[in-house]
Amino acid sequence: MSTTAILARQSRWSTFRKETLRAVTAIAVALLVTIIVVLLTSKAPLEALNTLLTAPASKPRTIGLWFDDVAKLTVTGLAFSLVFQARQFALGVQGQIYVGALASSYVALSPIGPTFAAIPLGIAAAMLAGAAWGFIPGLAKAKLGANEIVSSLMLNYIAIELCNFLVRVQLRERPGVLTSLKFPDAAVFSPLIPGTRIDLGLILALVATVLVWFALYRTSWGLKLRLVGHNARFAEYAGIKSSLIMVSAMTAAGALGGMLGAMFVQGQTYGKITVLFEGGLAFEGILVAIVARSRPLAVPVVAIFYGYLRQGAQLMNIRTDVPAEVIGVVTAIIILLVSSSFSVPGKKWLSAQFGRRAQPAGLSADGAAK
Amino acid sequence: MAPLLQATGIGKTYPGGVVANDGVNLTVSAGEVHAVVGENGAGKSTLMKILFGIERPDAGELTLDGKPVSFANPRDAIEAGIGMVFQHFSLVPSFSVYENVVLGSEPRSGARFDRKRAIEEVRALSKRFRLKVDPLPAVGTLPVGQQQRVEILKALYRDARILILDEPTAVLAPQEVEELFIAVRELVAQGRTVIFIAHKLPEVLEISDRITVMRAGRSVGEVGRSEITEQGLATMMVGRDVALRVDRAATAGALACEIKALWVRSESGQPLLEDLNLRVHAGEIVGLVGVEGNGQAALIDAISGAGPMSAGVVYLNGTSLGPLSTLERRAIGVANIPEDRIAQGLAGGASVAENLVATKLGDRRYVRRGLLDLRAIKANAEALIARYSVRVGGADQAVATLSGGNMQKVVVARELSEQPKLLLVSQPTRGVDLGATQFIWRSLTDARDAGAAVLLSSADLTELLALSDRLVVFYRGKLVAAFHNDDTLTPEILGSYMLGLAVQTQEEVMGALR
Repeated sequence: MSTTAILARQSRWSTFRKETLRAVTAIAVALLVTIIVVLLTSKAPLEALNTLLTAPASKPRTIGLWFDDVAKLTVTGLAFSLVFQARQFALGVQGQIYVGALASSYVALSPIGPTFAAIPLGIAAAMLAGAAWGFIPGLAKAKLGANEIVSSLMLNYIAIELCNFLVRVQLRERPGVLTSLKFPDAAVFSPLIPGTRIDLGLILALVATVLVWFALYRTSWGLKLRLVGHNARFAEYAGIKSSLIMVSAMTAAGALGGMLGAMFVQGQTYGKITVLFEGGLAFEGILVAIVARSRPLAVPVVAIFYGYLRQGAQLMNIRTDVPAEVIGVVTAIIILLVSSSFSVPGKKWLSAQFGRRAQPAGLSADGAAK
Repeated sequence: MAPLLQATGIGKTYPGGVVANDGVNLTVSAGEVHAVVGENGAGKSTLMKILFGIERPDAGELTLDGKPVSFANPRDAIEAGIGMVFQHFSLVPSFSVYENVVLGSEPRSGARFDRKRAIEEVRALSKRFRLKVDPLPAVGTLPVGQQQRVEILKALYRDARILILDEPTAVLAPQEVEELFIAVRELVAQGRTVIFIAHKLPEVLEISDRITVMRAGRSVGEVGRSEITEQGLATMMVGRDVALRVDRAATAGALACEIKALWVRSESGQPLLEDLNLRVHAGEIVGLVGVEGNGQAALIDAISGAGPMSAGVVYLNGTSLGPLSTLERRAIGVANIPEDRIAQGLAGGASVAENLVATKLGDRRYVRRGLLDLRAIKANAEALIARYSVRVGGADQAVATLSGGNMQKVVVARELSEQPKLLLVSQPTRGVDLGATQFIWRSLTDARDAGAAVLLSSADLTELLALSDRLVVFYRGKLVAAFHNDDTLTPEILGSYMLGLAVQTQEEVMGALR
């Protein structure tokens, strides 16, 4: 093995360490602020903090809630990572979830619903619908120069209202109810661990993580996509059709968003479609993607931490006098810290402390190479 | 009498090691028009940015009225009575003329913007200096010449005693130039001082009292208008440096690239290149000479696929390039070393290995069934890093962390890793240190010797004379002269064609266009 290869590995490892340290510090700072806010506002601050920090892991049921969130946050985080890597700021995951969910609901409530094909077909239909929803702003940008932020956000509203309308008019259980009939059992993901919400969705999320990583780092499409993201002018010069890449990235992200829609309505959480089922989770994928620096393999890790905080906040909301909105403070601080590329305070002091120990190790690695 | 503004021994090195100014002296007396002339890249703009406080010099000193001054930013310079009109105007197009003039130092009555007074003041100012412009219409609706007057009024409104005009005539039509000169004379008559940056020599001789000539970051002399001729100025500008000779091509090969009646128009329909006919043979370097923006870049872009061909055809070994995509052109042997490596030639955030393979993503050696062969990509990178001695930690390192010379080596390595049939090169050594320059020159001549037809565009005449076998000169989109490069050809001769002072007859052009 050559010295350069070792140097390269060391530099990759140090980047990894730096990014991890950065993310962990961001979360720590955010938690510290949360603790201060809770201490100042709550009548029983210790109980509230205890709920926030320990409740999600306390019972199998809450662990199930936590991992259900992790799966969904992972998928939305992946969808955003994909478009962010191509430097497109399409924000259409929310709309893709709704159209995806509608598509899988129509499959589940059709004659296919009670058969074994309901789950694969439901997911496939959802991914197609989501892909179409992602394709529209991509095409509009490539052909008409429409700003993808605006068009994707507008499509979100269309999808939400479309879902509203179809649920109230066609899919409702009976007039006046805002949910559909329960899906047949064959159309609902069965729990992997009985009594929890952990279901096929978690597996889908993990598979999607690996697939997105593979697509980005092992295929020529992914390399082209990243080159377009780094420098679109260079990509054009190199003969890469950047508009094609851009549209395909947004379409692929749309398919992920659509799949997330199926995970919502066909998952243990719902098993039916209701209006506004998504509850704003889609946009939390932006946070996950930013903290993960759009690296697909980092997305589930970030989702685990962030999902824990999210569940903790919700349980705190239910059980104590602190509202769940506190988590908004946490979110805001994390985004602020991570996106401003802050440097870890006291870094010099830290490196002076660790430097003495790290130095000989580095030297011996160098020596081994020679 | 002490000079009004004096710069002594100014030095400025940009990050990345580009020496823009190196011991520049400039002495401007009150009430004169002082021209600063030099080729592109001679350091004129950097000097002006230092005078106006945009850049801070690394060495040297500035004195104003005999007292040393130092400007931290343009505001300091404006307060000291210096105004600058850039080549690219900084005006708000939707604001009216008077609003643009007073913006930032509006006359007030109480807290209110006193529009009436502003209009009157602008009108008076415009009358006094014979800079005719109506204060009321929106600036965006005015022709360029009038926009320039607004810029000048802006500086005068802030009581500029010294007015720096950066290539003011570049954007103007001949009649507008006349009007500008009338205004400049009026300014001087009323005691203002004008520093005039230019490279069109007849204009310089018409308007200025004294002339400072810059070359390669240094000031090479100061002369009075009456002491010098146009030819003399051109000689001073270009210098007498004997070009570093590189081995000439032994023999020219077969016809490789044929350009027939090529026209390129800009988006607004202006012709950038008019009716160009040129043949390039395998194993020769054809230098594209011209002041920047006279059609060389349009030609390179049209051939590479980065820009349009409006009419005409370009053949490479019998294949017409027009209908082919950039990638297809690359596949049949077109390689391109672009002018701006950071903006166009590289993806800074991607790794060296990824950059080295970016143009070959259709190649079965690196991509099969849509999958990357990471091992082959890495081996390719390591081989090229070694062959072109790129100083880098490893193939996975991001390109943005490399120095300018090493970045350029990455570009050159990628473009020359496969022997090209037609090599397009623009400014290959701009901002690159001497060692890397020699290495890049060698790479280009090696590619030529291996049978590439090379089109070389450069702002550096020394480079063109050193490398080219033949040279063609562009002026305003037209090919105005063609030469075989022999020892009788000097930068002065090229310069006079570049500046449009001389034009070859059709027969002379054809003589060198084999």
